[in-house]
Amino acid sequence: MEIAINNSFINSASKYGMANTEAENQESLLAKVASGESKAFEELIKKYGNLIWSIARRYLSNQAEAEDAVQEIFLALWKYAGRFDANKGSEITFIATIARRRLIDGLRKNNKHKILQSIDDSITDDVFKQKSNLETNAELSLAIGILESLDKKDQELLSLSIYQGYSHVEIAKLLNLPLGTVKTKIRRNLMKIREKIKDDKMNVTKIYHG
Amino acid sequence: MVKEDTEKQILIDLLALSAVEPLSNEDEQKMAQLLTKYPEFSKDEFAEITGLSQLGFYLKDHTAHEKLPSELRNKILATYENSKSSAKNDPLLSIFPGLLKAFTKPSYAWGITAMLIIGLSYSMITFKTYENNYRYLPLKKMVLQNTADDLMQYPWFGKTSDFESIKGDMIWSNQKQKGFIKITGMPMNDPSQNQYQIWIVDPIQYQNPVDGGVFDITKSGRELIIPINPKLPISNARGFAITLEQPGGVVVSSQPLLLTAPKERPKQTI
Repeated sequence: MEIAINNSFINSASKYGMANTEAENQESLLAKVASGESKAFEELIKKYGNLIWSIARRYLSNQAEAEDAVQEIFLALWKYAGRFDANKGSEITFIATIARRRLIDGLRKNNKHKILQSIDDSITDDVFKQKSNLETNAELSLAIGILESLDKKDQELLSLSIYQGYSHVEIAKLLNLPLGTVKTKIRRNLMKIREKIKDDKMNVTKIYHG
Repeated sequence: MVKEDTEKQILIDLLALSAVEPLSNEDEQKMAQLLTKYPEFSKDEFAEITGLSQLGFYLKDHTAHEKLPSELRNKILATYENSKSSAKNDPLLSIFPGLLKAFTKPSYAWGITAMLIIGLSYSMITFKTYENNYRYLPLKKMVLQNTADDLMQYPWFGKTSDFESIKGDMIWSNQKQKGFIKITGMPMNDPSQNQYQIWIVDPIQYQNPVDGGVFDITKSGRELIIPINPKLPISNARGFAITLEQPGGVVVSSQPLLLTAPKERPKQTI
C-alpha cells in the first residue's frame, strides 16, 4: 500500500483540509460525544477503535498494557471531547494527540524495555476500509507526505521511536549507531517535520485568505 | 539577543526530545526553567507532530490491520456507562438543574444571587482553613482529575520495610496548585506525639522540599484521600514525600523518608 506523494498532492490535500474542517464543524463526532448524545461514544469506538488498537499494539510491549492504554485513551477522549475545536485542527489530529500522550504515559509507567513480539493480525475488510478512509484525511496525507520526503534511514529511525516505542538506547543498539547520533537525528527530523507543517499551513492560509 | 536565540534553540531541542523520550532530571529542569522564561513555547510543542507522525507510520505499515477485540470494546463501553452514570448521580451536579430552573423566575433570581454572594464570601474566608479543606474530598479530587491539563499522577513507594506494603498514589497540578494523596494501609499515628507531613520537591525554585501540610491516620486499613496544602507556590513539582514529624510539622525535615512518589520510578524501592 505505497502512497505516492508529491507537492501538488500535499497542496491539494491541504485544500481538502479546509473542506474537511468545515464539514467537521457540522458533523464532529467528538462534539456529539461531548454533548452526551446517545450512541456517539459507541460510534467513536467503531470509527477509531481499530486504529487506536493497532497503534497501541505496536507501541507497547504486551497485550495487557495495550488494553489498559486503549481504555484510557477512549475515556480521555470522552472527558476532553468538549475541548475539540474544528477550527484549530481536524478530529483525527485531536485524537492522535490524545492517544499519543496516553501511550507515552503507558510506556513510561511500565518502564520496561520493549520486547519484540509477533502480533496476531486479524485482517478484516472493515479495517482495510477504515484505513483507506483515513488516508484521505488532509492532515494525515500531509504528515505522510512529509515523512516520505525524509531520507529512508531517517524514516526508519523515526518509525522505531515514534511508532514502535523503542528508546534511543535500544535504537542505537538495533541500528548500531552512536547514541548521540540517534538523538541528534531524531531531534533534527522532528524539527524538520514541524517546519514543513508550519510552512504548509501558512501556504494554505495565504491561498484562502490572501 | 544571541543568548536568547541560543536558549530558545536549546528549548526547542529539549521539547523535541521530550516528545519521544523521557529527559534526564538535569534536562527536565533546564526545560522547565526555559519554559518559564519563554512562555510563547508550550510543553506540548511537538505533541501534535508526533501524534500525526505516529498515525502516518501506521498508514504506511502494511502489516498493521488489527481489529479491536470485542471483549475490550465491551469493557470500554461498560466503563464509560459507569463513569457517565456516576457523573449523573453526583449530588453537586443534581443540584444545578434545580438552581437553573429557579433562575428563570425573576422573583427568585435576586434572592438566590444574594444567597450565593453571601455563601461565596463565607467560603472564600474559610476556604483556606485546614478542616474545611477536608470536606467533599472525593468530589474535589474528581474535579481536579477532570479539569487539570497538567495532571501528574505518581504511585507511592515505601522507603522502609514498615511502609513497603502501603498502596496508593498522588495527583498534582502545578497550574491549579492543588493535589491529593490516596493512600491505604498507613500505620496510625498519635496526633499528640507526631503527625505525618507531606513534602513537595520543586528543585528549580526551592533548595529544600516545600511543606505540603500535615495529616493524621486515626483508623487503619481504610483508603484515605488527603489534600496537599503547599505553603509556597509550586512551579514544577518533581516528586513528593511523606515523613513523620512533631505535631504541626516542621519547616525543614531531618526525619527519614517513609514514602516517596517520584516522577521516575526508583530502581529499588527499599
